[in-house]
Amino acid sequence: MRQLFCFVLLSWISFASLLPPAFAAAADYHEQLVLRPLPLSALLASFNFRSNTSLSEFEAHNFRFFPRSLGQILQHAGTQELHLRFSLGRWDSEAWGARPWGGAREGGTGVELWAWLQAATDEEADHKWLTLTNALSGLFCASLNFIDGTRTTRPVMSFQPEGDHLNTTAADTHLLYGVLPHEVVCTENLTPFLKLLPCKGKAGIATLLDGHKLFDASWQSMAIDVKPVCPVGGECVLQIELTIDMVLDIDRSKRPRDNPIPRPPPGHELPCNTSKPYHSHDTCFPTDHQANQDWTLSQIFGRTMKGTCPLTDPTVPPVCLQVPDSRSVYHSDGVLEKKNLDRVSRCFEIKPDVDFEIVLPAPEDESAILVKPETPLLYAERSFTGHGQERGGVQTILRNPSPDTEVEFIYMESLPWFMRIYLHTMSARIQGHTTKDKSLIKEVYYRPAVDRARGTQLEVRMRVPPASTVFLTYDFEKSILRYTEYPPDANRGFDVAAAVITILSPAAYNLRTTSLLCSLPTPDFSMPYNVIIFTSTAIALAFGGMFNILVRRFVAADEGPEVGLAVLKKRIKERVGVLVQKFKGKGQKAEDKMVEVGRMVENPGVGEQT
Amino acid sequence: MSAQPLPKDEVLATTTRKLPPPEKPSDVRRRSHVILSFWLIVLLLGLPIWWRTTTIYRADLPLQDMLDWADGKACRPVFPLRISIQATSFQDQEAQNLLRLTQHALDDLNDFAGHHLRLQLSDEEQESADNGSALTIRLTPGEGTTATLDPYEPILDITYPPNTIPSPTASSSPLATYIASQLRTTFAEEQATISYLLSTNSMPSEHRPLGLSPETTESLAKRTTRSVKYAPTYHLTFSLFTSGPLPSSWDIEGAIEEYMKPVLEVLSPIHNFTIDTQVQLYASPGVQNQVLNKEDLSSFINAAEWPLSPSIGGAPTINFIVFVGNQTITNPSQESATSQSWLIPQWGTVYLLSLPDDTTHVTAATLKQPLLTFTSHLLSLTGTPESGSLPLRLSTLARIRSADLLLRASSTLGSLARLAMALPSISIPSSVADGVTKTMSHLRLACDNLGGTEGLAHARIAEAEAERAFFEKSMVGQLYFPDEHKIAVYLPLLGPVAVPLVMGLINEIKAWRKRRREKAEKGAEKKEQ
Repeated sequence: MRQLFCFVLLSWISFASLLPPAFAAAADYHEQLVLRPLPLSALLASFNFRSNTSLSEFEAHNFRFFPRSLGQILQHAGTQELHLRFSLGRWDSEAWGARPWGGAREGGTGVELWAWLQAATDEEADHKWLTLTNALSGLFCASLNFIDGTRTTRPVMSFQPEGDHLNTTAADTHLLYGVLPHEVVCTENLTPFLKLLPCKGKAGIATLLDGHKLFDASWQSMAIDVKPVCPVGGECVLQIELTIDMVLDIDRSKRPRDNPIPRPPPGHELPCNTSKPYHSHDTCFPTDHQANQDWTLSQIFGRTMKGTCPLTDPTVPPVCLQVPDSRSVYHSDGVLEKKNLDRVSRCFEIKPDVDFEIVLPAPEDESAILVKPETPLLYAERSFTGHGQERGGVQTILRNPSPDTEVEFIYMESLPWFMRIYLHTMSARIQGHTTKDKSLIKEVYYRPAVDRARGTQLEVRMRVPPASTVFLTYDFEKSILRYTEYPPDANRGFDVAAAVITILSPAAYNLRTTSLLCSLPTPDFSMPYNVIIFTSTAIALAFGGMFNILVRRFVAADEGPEVGLAVLKKRIKERVGVLVQKFKGKGQKAEDKMVEVGRMVENPGVGEQT
Repeated sequence: MSAQPLPKDEVLATTTRKLPPPEKPSDVRRRSHVILSFWLIVLLLGLPIWWRTTTIYRADLPLQDMLDWADGKACRPVFPLRISIQATSFQDQEAQNLLRLTQHALDDLNDFAGHHLRLQLSDEEQESADNGSALTIRLTPGEGTTATLDPYEPILDITYPPNTIPSPTASSSPLATYIASQLRTTFAEEQATISYLLSTNSMPSEHRPLGLSPETTESLAKRTTRSVKYAPTYHLTFSLFTSGPLPSSWDIEGAIEEYMKPVLEVLSPIHNFTIDTQVQLYASPGVQNQVLNKEDLSSFINAAEWPLSPSIGGAPTINFIVFVGNQTITNPSQESATSQSWLIPQWGTVYLLSLPDDTTHVTAATLKQPLLTFTSHLLSLTGTPESGSLPLRLSTLARIRSADLLLRASSTLGSLARLAMALPSISIPSSVADGVTKTMSHLRLACDNLGGTEGLAHARIAEAEAERAFFEKSMVGQLYFPDEHKIAVYLPLLGPVAVPLVMGLINEIKAWRKRRREKAEKGAEKKEQ
């Protein structure tokens, strides 16, 4: 019972920023950082920045908290709702539990973009999508312009608009989804991201964002969400929410920046599991779960936080920390600590112009170091099966940890066109059973690929019974590309985007599998020249043979002209003799002779012995 | 043969070989036909196919006409300006005479054939706008001889003492000279600008006036480089930058409505404007000095951090920045004087606004001075002349812009023609040829209607078409195959095929010559017999 109570409160905290719209519209700007220590010396830091602008101001091009650079792109491309994700790494749900924001603010590895565009026809929507991706590509220094027709799908079941779209009909709103799994998210994507914030990186929690730390994280996700929000009885506002979630390795972050090479700690500093029977002064079984839970903000982020952004809503505390109440936390002056009612989180109210720092000492009570991570609704792993260069298969293992609740969800894949899937091979079976269970898959939406024009889109609505594991498998065939279609590093393989799992019941939750690396049959790239030489030789041989048969005369061996080395020798001798004569004998005589000899040497006929 | 083998040479020399049986004449003929048909196939089918598949498509361009336009031979830019004289108090005869005398005086003063002022009498009272006259002179009797420009209408009010009306027979009149000189000063700047534009473009010298002094040329050059490239629409971006957290809001909408909209409306026949505004906090400038000198101004804009990306959608962006800070600018010419704003050529304006530290909201009244500065800078950024009343300046702007566009489109055509001639391996798609044709037809129309609004419209289309033709995408990526590559591709195929073909042909020609010689010998023998 107590656990359930904790669960409810914890989820309320986690979803604190997904507040009802009426409340969200109250302030124009707010920012919050939530720190949550995780097992295995990890720390989840969730940065959330949210600003509102009224739709009338937005349409009049007056930008205050809403970034102008993004605003005019949205207006130019007729975008009603936009979601952009830059992600790196893998969320380890076995150790870290449920994802922050219920998975709603993260994407698969690489870049993901989905948007609702206002357009009368599909062609117009495609055109606007092209404009949008190209403009965003310039704004975020990412290769978003490579989201072309082959990487764009129109999901039918997976995504639902988050905002309130009042005066638009479903007919003229188009949802487009594009994904670039190959994109490497980097510091150059963070800089434009920070520029979108009203306080830049100069004040408030954004001062903690540093490219070195962010991209050193075990998992990180940057999200931009723009949506219209219409509170009841109020004016509609356009809301932009920027979220950065990262899981930092405390151990790695605490290494000095000028000397980051890891070194083993001395034996007496090793945290050992003393309960092991073989524990002694020279053997040690390391305890990893509780290790390294003492840290300070400046150790983790490399700097302290510089005051608060003066524009932020004063009712929202800028920093919250989710550790049990029993744990002591020290903080700098000018900071007010407030423990929340749920007993597992506390928030800090910070005066402007005060450098904020918190120190978590090594805990005395081993049992109350961490808040126990919440169990996710579903675990998903996806991998390749199959053999050889031609035949492949995909297997997704979906595990429902709940003992009594069935999970229903939509599984979406957007595959590149060169993976030709065989839909009839798709099957789902429960672990332990050898036959497939038809009741698991409830609905399939499938849009087959068109070579070089669009990718496969597969959406499956399925369920996983309580406390069971389901295997979803299908086979595919790898096609051979044209030689110009291979990238320079063709042997690395081709990235396949993460599958998106949208859980419908028992609660809204999103998760993504990891992306895959599919290796295609790769040719030898000197091939074109080999082909030219080979075919030319074949043609030349065929032509030469045919031509000679047609134009040459066939005679008996002793009837044709002399051939062989001896003839050649004789001819050369004659020529040399003529030359010698020419040099010795002057005048007409020598020339006459040469003509005579020349005539004698000349081969009289066209016919030759073959 | 003898028992002891002889040396090999002797064997060869002594052995007599059998001769093959004589060939049938039909076989010989067939062989000739085979070789001939192979060569015919190669020459008549192979070569044309090779030529057709490897040749680069080049649409026909009227290169000479294009170069004529670029050299100014195709169009002689003439700006006939009609000026109406409203002389209600005059008698018909007197008015005609005054008109004649003034026209004479004007023609004497004018040294620039391209810019021509033509006077006409207007009978009706209200006709100022619709008859296409650039200026109306309103003559009214008064105390002394004065001339004032009406600030709202293109009207020049001239008063004259009644005794100065020229008699119908007079051959000169001080009033006529006065009017002529007034007109000349009114249009002096326009004349200078247009003649400057013509002189910087390669117009033939006979159209070029020589009366420009170096100082005028310099100031005109400065003004031309300052103005933004012509576009039918401009994006205006108003930004409030502050290096700290305050102020975070401003009443820019109201301020624009009050101080800038009137001018934008006046400019609307020539340009459209879209406006966006933004507030940016914590934006530190590129120069932190308290007193800014001339060198600091160029690096004041912190391009790396300030979000001043140009608007998307094609039209150029003009930036107006209000920077909240108490920096001052030293003026090298006047030591004591300081100013608050500066203009960045072809880009926009920065205005330093000094505010009390605790200001959170900038009111419209505070923004009055910045916006008035922006308005005047906007006029110079769009290339509006500096002297004269506003309506006159705007009509002058339209004429200057059409001349500018005309010249620019012509020079683009010239560049395209020179490019097509310089690169024989560049492909010219038919869309370029279409663009060139359209450009030339619109240029012709613009040239015939210079000075009117139609001329501006045509010049605008011509310029856009010329740019589109010049920057045609498929022309940018030029096909380039190095010779080594061609050899590597052609030689493996053509070498082995060509050798039997050529050898066959040579042997056949030899055999044919031999047959002819034998025939001739036989014929000679017969004759001898």
